[in-house]
Amino acid sequence: MKNKLAFWVITIILTILVIYIMVNTALMPVFTKNPLPKATIRTVNDKSKSGKSDQDKYRDDTMQTLPATNNSEDAQLRLFESRKRENLLRSRLTLANEDSMYLVLDLINKTAILEMKGISLHESHIIDSEVSNSITTNHTETLLNWMAVPFTVKNVEATIPKISFVEKIAPKDSTEANKLVTEPTAQRLGDVYIVMDFDRNLRLVISQSEKPDDDGKKLISALYWKYRSVEIRKSIQSLFRFNREPVRPQIHIVLPKSDATILYKALPLNPRMILRL
Amino acid sequence: MEIEDKNERSFLNFIKWIIPILLFCLVVVMILFTPAFQDCAFKIKSLSKGSIVFSTFSKDEIGRLVLLSQNNINSIKTKLDKLKPVKPYIVVNTTENRFSLRNIDGDTIRTGVCSTGKNEILIAGSKRIVFKTPKGMFAVQNKQEDRPWIKPDWAFIEEGLPIPSARSATRIDYSTLGDYAISIGNSYMLHGTLYQRFLGLPVTHGCVRLGDKDLEIIYKTLSKGSKVFIY
Repeated sequence: MKNKLAFWVITIILTILVIYIMVNTALMPVFTKNPLPKATIRTVNDKSKSGKSDQDKYRDDTMQTLPATNNSEDAQLRLFESRKRENLLRSRLTLANEDSMYLVLDLINKTAILEMKGISLHESHIIDSEVSNSITTNHTETLLNWMAVPFTVKNVEATIPKISFVEKIAPKDSTEANKLVTEPTAQRLGDVYIVMDFDRNLRLVISQSEKPDDDGKKLISALYWKYRSVEIRKSIQSLFRFNREPVRPQIHIVLPKSDATILYKALPLNPRMILRL
Repeated sequence: MEIEDKNERSFLNFIKWIIPILLFCLVVVMILFTPAFQDCAFKIKSLSKGSIVFSTFSKDEIGRLVLLSQNNINSIKTKLDKLKPVKPYIVVNTTENRFSLRNIDGDTIRTGVCSTGKNEILIAGSKRIVFKTPKGMFAVQNKQEDRPWIKPDWAFIEEGLPIPSARSATRIDYSTLGDYAISIGNSYMLHGTLYQRFLGLPVTHGCVRLGDKDLEIIYKTLSKGSKVFIY
């Protein structure tokens, strides 16, 4: 009898807990919060204040809300695709007028392109990609507004250094200099795992297609778990606060190790990115 | 018989406890894999909403907006075309130590190996001299055949030799730069090398070293103002 009561009490408590967690961590953030915040588009007035280039004067005036009527899905999709293309080209033009290299992530043609001044410097085939449903299922103005301007990196972490220098003490004389001369060797490419957090809540994860060696595995796993533990901590915290932040849309791409290294090393410290979906 | 009955009862009792155990596992899984559950929730949300894109626009309005968008696209395309290089250009990959010479349409004319900066810091007393190839877009400043190299101070420091005066004849080296030198500013150049066997390796002090044949073709293809992209 005692056993039976304990069984029902525990089962009911656990069922309530499952429902509570489901609602609080999975459903509430999805149904009540927008994961794709709107991009800030500079208007003509802003330009005169900030003195920005003429690329910023494009105003998103076509996004005004008009009265609702019956409309065909085809026409809507055509407008959606056209607006997406316009956004992409506008972003490309904006970045082409700047002096930095930037990344063009074309998930339609499965390529990651390193560009500068509108010139493709390096193109890499994306072997595999995974895009969050928060992006792929969002065929709305929200998505267009989200990707209306290029994304800027806020934080980057990687298993390889951006640039590594070897320090050498100058020789005292020519005899010592001759002793220091060594035969140069090709640089060894470390295993790559990169996490880039952009503005507007986007996270891009780049991993290599090749199997990492033992050292690489440790580094990759350490970085992976660093980010996973943050997510887990947030989930636990939200159980007590009942106010979980919006879902973070994530894009995970798999590139050949050499290409991932080239892209990471070539991009500036706070790189910008254009997304083509 | 009684023992069998007891066994059966304890087995059923154990089976019964599987439900709370599974529920507990579900709690743990949901906390560990919250993003996966959220992703599923988005799928459900999209199914419930359908594929409505611009529900607030009328059909006529959509037509007008598509036309407007097309005009914008054409205008941006024209502006992007204007940014294209008007002369052949070269792209240098410092990670793989390779180059690609391209024509104005972006088609590759020639590719090959080169040598770029060795990413080394030479410490001489309080001085720190950095040997690396700069990245970005540069333009050809001037081109010279059989250009002598005026050795800078670091060349002597690196060899453990005393630094001569600025106008000393020992600074002039007629062989190191090879047959051609293409200056891209800030003392950086694309030039030849005596160490052909090191091509493909990062060994330079910042310049881009090229093989003899490649250098000749690049020298003849690029002109003053041609773009040099280094990444």
